[in-house]
Amino acid sequence: MKKYLLLIVSLVLAGYMQPALKAQDLLPPETTIEQAVDHYIQAEQATGNIASAPQVDDYILLRRTMLDLIGRIPTVAEVEAYVADEDPEKRVKLVDHLMQQPEFIEQLAYDLNNILAPAGKTDLELYLADALNNRKGWDNIFADMIYGNYEEEMPKQAMQFVNLRINDIDNLTNATSALFFGVNISCAKCHDHPLVSEWTQAHFYGMKSFFNRSFSNGDFVAERAYGAIKYANTNGEQLDAKLMFLTGSVIEEPEPVVLDDEAKKKEKAELEQLKKDKKPAPAPEFSRRAQLIEIALRENDRDYFSKNLVNRMWNRIYGHGLVMPLDQMHPENPPSHPDLLDWLARDTYTNDYNLQRLVRGLILSKTYSQHSVYGGEKRPAKFWFATANVKPMSPRQYAAALALASRNPAHFDDPNEAVSRIQNEVKAHRGWERKFVVPGEKFQVSVDEALLFSNADEFKDKTKVANDRLGGELAAIESNEALVQRAIKTVYSRPATAEELEAISAYIAARSDRREEAISQIVWALLTSSELRFNH
Amino acid sequence: MFDRKIGVDMSVNTDRRGFLSGATAAGLAASSMNLDILKAESLSNELKKSGKRVLLLWLAGGASQLETWDPKPGRLTGGPYQAIQTSLPGVQISELMPKMATRLHNTAIIRSLNTQIGDHGGGARLMHLGRRDEPNLKYPDMGSVLARELGRPDLQVPDYVSFYTATEGRGNAVGQPGFLGARYAPMFLTTDNKPANLSRLEDITDLDHKERADLRALLSNRFAKGRVSESLGSHNVAYGRVRGLMSSEKLFDLSDEPQKVKDRYGKSLFAQQALVARRLIEAGTPFVKVARAWWDSHGQNFETHLELVTELDHVMSTLLEDLEERGLLQDTLVVTLAEFGRTPTINASLGRDHFARAWSASLTGCGIKGGTVFGATDEDGQHVKDNEIGAAEMFATIYKAVGIDPHHEYFVGARPIPLVDPGTHAVDEVLA
Amino acid sequence: MFQADPNNFRELRTTSRPDIILRMTRNDDTGEVFVGSSDAKVYQVDPMVEQPEFLAMEGHTSYVMGLVDTGKYIVSGSYDKSLIWWNKETKQQVRRIEMAHDRWIRNLTTTPDNKFVLSVADDMVCKIWDAETGDLVRTLESHIKVTEHGFPNMLYAVAVSPDGKLIATVDRIAKIKLWDFETGEELKELEAPKCYTWDPKARIHSIGGIRSVTFSPDSTKVAVGGIGQIGNVDHLAAAGRVELFEVASGEKLHMFEGDDKHKGLVEQIIFHPSGKWLMAVGGDHGGWVQFLDVEKKEVVKQLKAPMHVHQMVVTSDFKMAFGVGHNRLAVWSFEPEEPMEEKTEEAAG
Repeated sequence: MKKYLLLIVSLVLAGYMQPALKAQDLLPPETTIEQAVDHYIQAEQATGNIASAPQVDDYILLRRTMLDLIGRIPTVAEVEAYVADEDPEKRVKLVDHLMQQPEFIEQLAYDLNNILAPAGKTDLELYLADALNNRKGWDNIFADMIYGNYEEEMPKQAMQFVNLRINDIDNLTNATSALFFGVNISCAKCHDHPLVSEWTQAHFYGMKSFFNRSFSNGDFVAERAYGAIKYANTNGEQLDAKLMFLTGSVIEEPEPVVLDDEAKKKEKAELEQLKKDKKPAPAPEFSRRAQLIEIALRENDRDYFSKNLVNRMWNRIYGHGLVMPLDQMHPENPPSHPDLLDWLARDTYTNDYNLQRLVRGLILSKTYSQHSVYGGEKRPAKFWFATANVKPMSPRQYAAALALASRNPAHFDDPNEAVSRIQNEVKAHRGWERKFVVPGEKFQVSVDEALLFSNADEFKDKTKVANDRLGGELAAIESNEALVQRAIKTVYSRPATAEELEAISAYIAARSDRREEAISQIVWALLTSSELRFNH
Repeated sequence: MFDRKIGVDMSVNTDRRGFLSGATAAGLAASSMNLDILKAESLSNELKKSGKRVLLLWLAGGASQLETWDPKPGRLTGGPYQAIQTSLPGVQISELMPKMATRLHNTAIIRSLNTQIGDHGGGARLMHLGRRDEPNLKYPDMGSVLARELGRPDLQVPDYVSFYTATEGRGNAVGQPGFLGARYAPMFLTTDNKPANLSRLEDITDLDHKERADLRALLSNRFAKGRVSESLGSHNVAYGRVRGLMSSEKLFDLSDEPQKVKDRYGKSLFAQQALVARRLIEAGTPFVKVARAWWDSHGQNFETHLELVTELDHVMSTLLEDLEERGLLQDTLVVTLAEFGRTPTINASLGRDHFARAWSASLTGCGIKGGTVFGATDEDGQHVKDNEIGAAEMFATIYKAVGIDPHHEYFVGARPIPLVDPGTHAVDEVLA
Repeated sequence: MFQADPNNFRELRTTSRPDIILRMTRNDDTGEVFVGSSDAKVYQVDPMVEQPEFLAMEGHTSYVMGLVDTGKYIVSGSYDKSLIWWNKETKQQVRRIEMAHDRWIRNLTTTPDNKFVLSVADDMVCKIWDAETGDLVRTLESHIKVTEHGFPNMLYAVAVSPDGKLIATVDRIAKIKLWDFETGEELKELEAPKCYTWDPKARIHSIGGIRSVTFSPDSTKVAVGGIGQIGNVDHLAAAGRVELFEVASGEKLHMFEGDDKHKGLVEQIIFHPSGKWLMAVGGDHGGWVQFLDVEKKEVVKQLKAPMHVHQMVVTSDFKMAFGVGHNRLAVWSFEPEEPMEEKTEEAAG
């Protein structure tokens, strides 16, 4: 009876994860990612009679693209050069240029680390940057992080994903399922999942079995060749966990090694010695963790892995996943665009899970360059992807934005010096990252942040009238109109509107007795306004 | 099949009430993961809640029920301290609380908590959230719920202030708005009794500070117009609160408090924070938590409790008297709570260890039937004998005492989340 | 007679108890032993028999924290704030002073001539009582009642010098006061500040205090015992500590500290009659006995006791020792296990 149940479960799950259309019904593989994205998004919009928002102008597109690819806003010089450029291919060239910059990998590693590592831990970021620089695909990165062959370079940092959670195998199981497969199965620990009838305790303990033999030995993760999980169902029956993946596929494994007391003692002594020598323990011949990599990437089981990658990257670029919440990829919670998800998943596994390729395609789509203000009357819900979403900046993006926007823009005018000056300015403000929270789903800005900018002594420097500051340059400009134009372009990367000219000019005029203070206050208002805080 | 019925994004970037009413008007929240209140509350409930406040004295580390509310004199588990008669016939508490013993007329003692989780981190989370964690959903803590339910949008004072000065266990004292969002995050005070960045720097006049903020609002609102994002809304709401919060700075400064009052509370940090808490409560802050750490008396339980219960007895009784004299106690619920109690069995270091199976809490003031004792433990205090309750019942009772329906539901996406776990009820026996 | 050798010190027997035995007194002439318990009772017991019987004497309502044998009476004091004089034969109360102190009584002692009983309590007063009549003869009062951190002070122990001239009282904040027995005048204040740990930051309360005090046989020195500085005040997490002072000069002669395996409070200190070494007993979750050499200025021997020891008495011939503590009563011997052959050279003291 149990067996049949499992079989049914597997079939149902497999059914969900199978493409909704047969492969030949999807757009052909040689379609570009950007074409596929626009095709499926627009096709879906047509079914709802939804019009998309207008495309953004060069100013916003440049700012958005730079923030998404290299984590900073453009300088005035960069804005002016891009807008003046008449090359019809300038957008593609911009994207390819930005992706060549070291900041591209740095930001991708930083964002992935924020997802994968517990707050504040950064070792994994070093590994991720290294792996991405070496053009490793997500499948290999996953393998490094879960199995971590210690004989290769950078293994210790890669193993932080496991090592930071090794003392709580339930947590490690949940984190792996949620972050690599988009499936949060923790509800199934104590009982079959309440919302998703297909997820049973067997799935939770099956997934846990991939990790149950792993443990921490000194600074390293080690694994035994024995150890099994028994669990009680809600009827109190004792069950043996199988080595079972989320799809229901079960791995046949060799009989566990049996050690007598003497051998166990010896094993313990060896492990102690390795700990003292600060060396990793050799992996067992049959490693359950290695089996997880094997099965997760196997042809019939890889949909979870590839779709999760696509959904998370999609969410990172578009500010809303194809499946929301990101860790609820289950039959009761279908994707908004199943064909698109299927197509992108196929594209990613047939292209070695190349993150760079995926990001480039998502950014080059027309869907990406829609305006975040919807022109029409009824703004379509997020899942239509008919407008761009406003995204709160990451702590690192916001620190960089504050650094560049508050600097005298002339500092970056010389094209020979600009690159290193920008890098220096951004690096000098890394410390500001700690003042902000990594935005998650439904992130809200706290009043602490507003109080910090309103009253903290340390923020004063950003707004003061001094030669190296924006305020210093503005104070030297006589015409109020020119002053406002310069200020808005520096902070928001675009020309000022008539309304802004009027309001800011009036603000200065009312303070003719204290013009410098007025300028400092204007810089403050620009820097703290939402337009700098968000990527739009 | 993906449901596209609610295809219009109804989130509105405006103040809190506007945000909520916009969502309510939309009727159904199924379109997005926005947090919506579906059930408009009845007017009578609104009135019942208005002006109500909660002050939590958080006894971090786990105070002993045997040396406070549930003494066991004459038993080997009872320890050396005697029980003393209180102002309530037949009710005794530890002799370490002589002051509270004379003023239990507004207080209900609960002696039958069984909360099961016996580690500091897990116990503290449970007693802050009122339920066990769910990995997929970040629950708000009691303070955030009360800040939201009892706060008013026009409030010029912070609506959730949390003091925790000792370093031990500070990370366990959860202040998390969870799915309610950062708007309801606590103002968390650790090293100083005054919040950071609340006072204006000297090089800007008050008028310029205000008009600078107005200019910012103008620019920022222009940007927000036509764009929709919960995060974006929260950014401008946060800045909108700055000036009001700044005006509450004086509440944290005891220098203008009469010396007589300061003397009455005493010099200890806990006493001073209790006095600041009273000032906040008086000014309308709906939730204040004063944590007193660290009670974890694995060694020398009786000496530690001699110190800490003596202090608690004085501070709590002074605070209650002060609130009563000012006419605030009828609208202020004062709670003592911890992550758990301590073992009846006394260890060889004359200590008591973690014990979540049978312990006590107290509720005083607003909505409470004073002079009641609910529940009982057996003669050695090892098990609950009568009327066992858990964290959810405790939370339901606190909510109900200040006029909040514990079964009120929030919606996270389409999922209804009641304030307390389904199937649990307030302890009506201690409610007025 | 006093050739006791710490190297021969060994445990003979233990008796389990459900309660915590906090105090004991033994009459060296008659061998009578009485103990005071956390169950509020005083018991007479013969620790020398295999399965001792505990004869209860009921009267207190809380922990018995002081117990002395004046020859004629047993006098006990308790957390219930009362003192009781007991008839040793009938086990009946002879006299009861209900509120002998305003707060919890922590300990009792007698003068060497057994004419007076001294009590200390958390009202921070030492009271001297006529052992025969129960009259209050004198009160000694100068320990502060509230610590500088605003917490109640605690007065843990009292000792009278063998020459009968001096009284020493010790408190929570590790102050030692020396008093003239005749006049009641406060002579001197010494301190052992390491015995009191105040944690201002992590946990904001204190632990420790001086828990034991005794004079040297020649009355020239006073030893106090407690626990060293503690990082985590949740636990008795430091080695036991004894400090030795010269009475005349007030000078600190030495500080003895056991090793990390012997953590906890020194609950009692016993001088060998030679004055050359002393014993410190106490514990945390476990218990121990330490031997401290006054001349060598070091801990010469430490051994585990079967329980946290709250009090110990040694027979005047230093052949036997009796201890009480957490859930146990124990008996030790100083005599070598085998019949004596040759006296070894290594005998200490």
